[in-house]
Amino acid sequence: MYEVLMYDGGVHKVEELFDLIEDIGGFVLQKTQVQVMIIITMAIPSEDRPLVERKTAELGGKIIEVPLAGTEIAVIGPTLGRHHMPHPICDIAEHLRRYGAITIVMGLARGRGRKTCQISAEEKAIIEEYDAAIFMLGNFKECVTHEKIDLFKDIQIPVVTVIGPEVDSLPHCEALVCGVGRKVERMRRAEEIAKLEEIADRVKEVIDVRRMEIEEDPLFVHPSEIKDILDEMDAVQECLRPAPVVLHVDGLRVKIPYKKHLREMEELEVYGRKLKDIAIISDCRLGDSTIIKIRTKAEVEGAIKD
Amino acid sequence: MEGTEQYALESYQWLMGRILMDMGMSNMVERVKLTIRPDQTLFIVSLRVKHSSGKRPVYDIAEIKAQEGGTFIEIKDESYAPRLMATLWRLYGRDRVQQLTRLEVFVEGVSAKELSDLKLDPEEETRSQLLDAIWRLLPEGLKVRHEFYDNNTMTIVATEHGMTVDFIEEAKKVHQYMIREVEE
Repeated sequence: MYEVLMYDGGVHKVEELFDLIEDIGGFVLQKTQVQVMIIITMAIPSEDRPLVERKTAELGGKIIEVPLAGTEIAVIGPTLGRHHMPHPICDIAEHLRRYGAITIVMGLARGRGRKTCQISAEEKAIIEEYDAAIFMLGNFKECVTHEKIDLFKDIQIPVVTVIGPEVDSLPHCEALVCGVGRKVERMRRAEEIAKLEEIADRVKEVIDVRRMEIEEDPLFVHPSEIKDILDEMDAVQECLRPAPVVLHVDGLRVKIPYKKHLREMEELEVYGRKLKDIAIISDCRLGDSTIIKIRTKAEVEGAIKD
Repeated sequence: MEGTEQYALESYQWLMGRILMDMGMSNMVERVKLTIRPDQTLFIVSLRVKHSSGKRPVYDIAEIKAQEGGTFIEIKDESYAPRLMATLWRLYGRDRVQQLTRLEVFVEGVSAKELSDLKLDPEEETRSQLLDAIWRLLPEGLKVRHEFYDNNTMTIVATEHGMTVDFIEEAKKVHQYMIREVEE
């Protein structure tokens, strides 16, 4: 199984680390160099972690745990109005990035109000393209427990709900964090940072459950292996959008137009098979991107036998 | 504070404090009353501000000099500059009011006497600031609103669907209570 880690250190002799990652069959997911310092996010086989740790110590760098690396998470507010943005939605999104997640912030078109709040099928479909969703709701217990729960009722990905009032549990969500609610300033006090940590912990838990489910019926290849191949494509190399290839727990988001590059992507070779045979490639609902869902080993091998 | 949910009351009290502080209005506000009943979708907020300083004549805050074709104004009290400019623009139009520097203004075709008699009324600005603070506080979904404003007190009642006579009556009572309570 692959493990995602982050190296933070100097650039001196860092090529040795790149060589080691390649030798053990790992992948560099992202590298960010600022003058003589470099941050490398990598996916490596779990059993080879001691080798990477030893090399990191040798280079004078440090290894940072990024438990949410390789995930894309949506933080959703009732609207994008100033009652809900930027705090605490952006604070949560920013905090999750520290744990390696790629986060996006989303506001519903008609999510505000008690009886009038609603979510469209289109919005649900967009949310379901992510690995998990965090719904940031308000301060009224009556409103949250009776009406707002319908917003995430049919969502097929894990949902973490963040609300103000203390309640024991809420239906239709995998995790619940109470005591946040509406904010008009940054969450920077000790107790607020503790709440952000709590949210990150809950997200980690639901992502771990998702990963364990996948492990029971493992994917044919790890998403980072496909990322490595996609990175070679001209369209990806020419893409100016930040992080052109984003890893998901069970696939990837490639920020190149689906219609234009479908044939090219379908024909990519992954361990002797074409990408179209081992993954479902579909159009992304948000701007000129492609979603790749990797099939499980059983699906791929079963299909070949047929 | 009055309502059916303690957490909502406490959090909105805190929010109100932060919003007023953010807008630099903490010292202006004398008293706040919140009534929150989420089960009825009712939100009443009433704010009373301290007596504003009253109307201030332009000659008090600026030096006025008659010149050929108009009047030259040099603003002495910078804090009144935005209000003076807004008043001049409203009365004479942007074409006739030339802002030469940050604190120097030339008003075309207006006598110095007329400008000296002009008075700046802070009430409108106070009202708009109060409205802004309350609108920032009110939950976004409560779009049906009714407002009362007199004697330096502003009360807004908000709900989601239809405003009922009972809600308005209750808001009126809160409004009267705020005026009476402070006067007593």
